[in-house]
Formats: sequence, C-alpha cells, structure tokens
Amino acid sequence: MTLSAFILWLRRYQGWVGLAGFLCTAAGLYLGLVASPPDYYQGDVMRIMYVHVPLAQMAMLGYGTLAGASLWYLWKRDPIVDNSAHAAAGLSAFFTAAALVTGSIWAKPTWNVWWSWDPRLVSFTIQLLILIGYLMLRKFIEEPDRQARFSAVLAITGVVNLVIVKFSVEWWRSLHQPASIKPDGISYAPDMLLPLMVTSIGFLFLFTYMLVLRTQLLYLRQLLDAKKGRLLSKAHL
Amino acid sequence: MTWFYLRWAVILAVGGLIAGLAFQNYRDHVAPVTPEQLIQFPVEGTVRVVGLVQPGSLVIDPEAATVEDFQAEFDLAGRLQHLPVRYRGPADDNLRELKTLVVVGQLDADGRILLANEFRIIPNYDYITAAYLLGLIPLALFLFVMERRVALLYTVIKTATPYQPESDHNEQG
Repeated sequence: MTLSAFILWLRRYQGWVGLAGFLCTAAGLYLGLVASPPDYYQGDVMRIMYVHVPLAQMAMLGYGTLAGASLWYLWKRDPIVDNSAHAAAGLSAFFTAAALVTGSIWAKPTWNVWWSWDPRLVSFTIQLLILIGYLMLRKFIEEPDRQARFSAVLAITGVVNLVIVKFSVEWWRSLHQPASIKPDGISYAPDMLLPLMVTSIGFLFLFTYMLVLRTQLLYLRQLLDAKKGRLLSKAHL
Repeated sequence: MTWFYLRWAVILAVGGLIAGLAFQNYRDHVAPVTPEQLIQFPVEGTVRVVGLVQPGSLVIDPEAATVEDFQAEFDLAGRLQHLPVRYRGPADDNLRELKTLVVVGQLDADGRILLANEFRIIPNYDYITAAYLLGLIPLALFLFVMERRVALLYTVIKTATPYQPESDHNEQG
C-alpha cells in the first residue's frame, strides 16, 4: 500500500477516528481534572501535565510526520503526500506553540519564572521557528513542484533539531524533567499515569483526524485552483 | 451543515460538563477558607484553612516527632487574626515557620482550636485554568474552522464553473 493510498483509506474512517479522539480526550480530562489525586510536592498545579504533555507529544509527532512525508515525497513525488507534509507542518506548529504556552504557565508556579534559557525550551522554540520558516517558504515559492521540493529539504534538515529536543534533557543539565516513560521503567504513579495515557491516546486520534482533514483541505484548495485554471503541480496532472 | 453544528453543540456541552465537574471538585475538595472566615463562621466537619505559619509559634512535641506519629502546635495567621492549630499525623516537610500552608482538620468542641491531621500545598488553580483554556480552546477553534472550511470547499468545488480559455470565448462570440 502506498502512503497516499493509506491516507485515502484513513479518510474513509476519519469520522470514527475523530469520535475516538473526542471520547478519549474527554475521559482523560475528566480523570485528570476530577478523579486523579494532587501531587505531593506540586499540589494541584501538576494537573497541567495532562494537557501540556500530550500537546508536546503531538508537536513532536507532527514534526516526525512532516519529515517522514517529506522524505517520501522526494522519493515518490506523490502530491497527496506533499499535502500531508504541509498539513503536518501546520499542525505541528500549532501544537508546538500550545505546548510552549502551557509549559510556560506550568513553569511559573514550579520554577518561579515564565521562561528559562533551558535546552529543552530553547530547542522546542527553535522547532517552532523552523516550522514557521517552512510555512513561509511554502507561501513565498509559487511554482508547486519547487515549493514542495525545497520545503521537503528544509523539513528533513530540521530533523537534527528534533533529535536535540528529544535528548536535550539527557545531554545537558536541564530544569525540565527527563522523560518519565523509558524502556527500563515508568516513573509515574499509576493514579497519574492512567489519565495521562488516556489523554495522550485521545490526542493521537485527534492528531490523525486533524491531519486527514487538513490534507483534504489543502488538496481541495488545489483542486479548486485547478478547476479555475490556476497553477497546478505537474504531478497532479 | 445542520449535522456539523449539532456535533459541535455536543462537543461544547461535554466540554462544559467536564469544566463544571472540575469546578465542583475544586469547591468540594480543594478551595480553602481563611482563619478569619473560620473564626467568624465556625464549621462542623472537615475544613481546609489557608494561612501562614506564624514565626515563633511552632512547637514540636519531642515525644511524638517520628515520621509516622508527629505532633506540633502553631498559630495559622490570616491577614487580621490567628487560628491556633494542634496537628497530629505523619511528619511533613512543608511544616515550617513563615510557610503558607493549607491545613486540613476539624474545630474542637469549643470551636477555638483546629485539630489538624493533614497539610496541603496552596492550590494554584488560576494557573491550571489558564493552561487548560489556552491549550484547549485554540485547539477546538482550530478544528472547528478547519472542518467548516473543508465542508464549504466540497460545496464550492461542486458549484464552481470550470475555467475556459479566452480563445474559446472568442470562437463562441
């Protein structure tokens, strides 16, 4: 199955994916805000974790999807995959900004600052800047094939920063806590792990739903342009 | 489009329900009163009081100072009045002078001393509310706008007139 065939297959079930995302997110938020206990040291403010961590996970997943789709586009020149890469960039930029905002709000009562020049925070902000640069590049280049090719190269180059985001808390001294779910064990209490897992799964479904929806949005725009006789990618023809 | 708006009404209703339950949870299990409020309106049953551990008032019982069984007396200061507290329970690192705490317990029979058995950190619900609102409302709006645009695009594409080169117009004319 090619990647574009997989995207079309997902489109058939997008309603169910969206529903699963909504139900899991609602259940996760209920568990996180109502049913789970407060943290011993941080108290109730720790509940921000149930929204901040899934947002950050989706930001990184979004960039991973963008890089994977860009690589696939350079190999196969499939325009629907290029639409997906473009869609993933928009979603990842949104989730990265939201994770930075919620993280900053969490930092104030726990670190007593809104912002710190911490490796994780800085690399995450660089990810947002790369994504904004990617979206601007797509706006500035009019010719569709060049636009797709150049932006794919930029996205793949930016993977270096994604690796830095992931390992920054292990490579350098950081205020940000290291990963709590590792192959050698989980450091969350079960009462807190359950709401986090449910919300993360909900966000994963929501991300998939949004990716399929945004891919359609970009594809339909190109289709409308084609119908009106505007520029069209050679591959679309 | 009716189905589209109906679906979003359900999403809003469920979001509102969770927000309502979270607020109720805050009111019933988190929100504290001040020492002045408790002195003025004594409450029967368990109560949460927020205040500062008055400097010089903390007295730890040397005979009950183990991790499991710890006893201490101190004054919990509000803005205008102090509430005497007698604590018995597990030792807690948070109990120190000049620390703002939430003390959980019941008033004694005279209604003058708070018999406490638990400490909690002061709730920072403003930050929690801000983080959830700033994280989830833009997400819902983003999704709403995207879904609406896709639905509209399908309609526009169906009705759009295909492009015809100018030469065709000339030939027809």
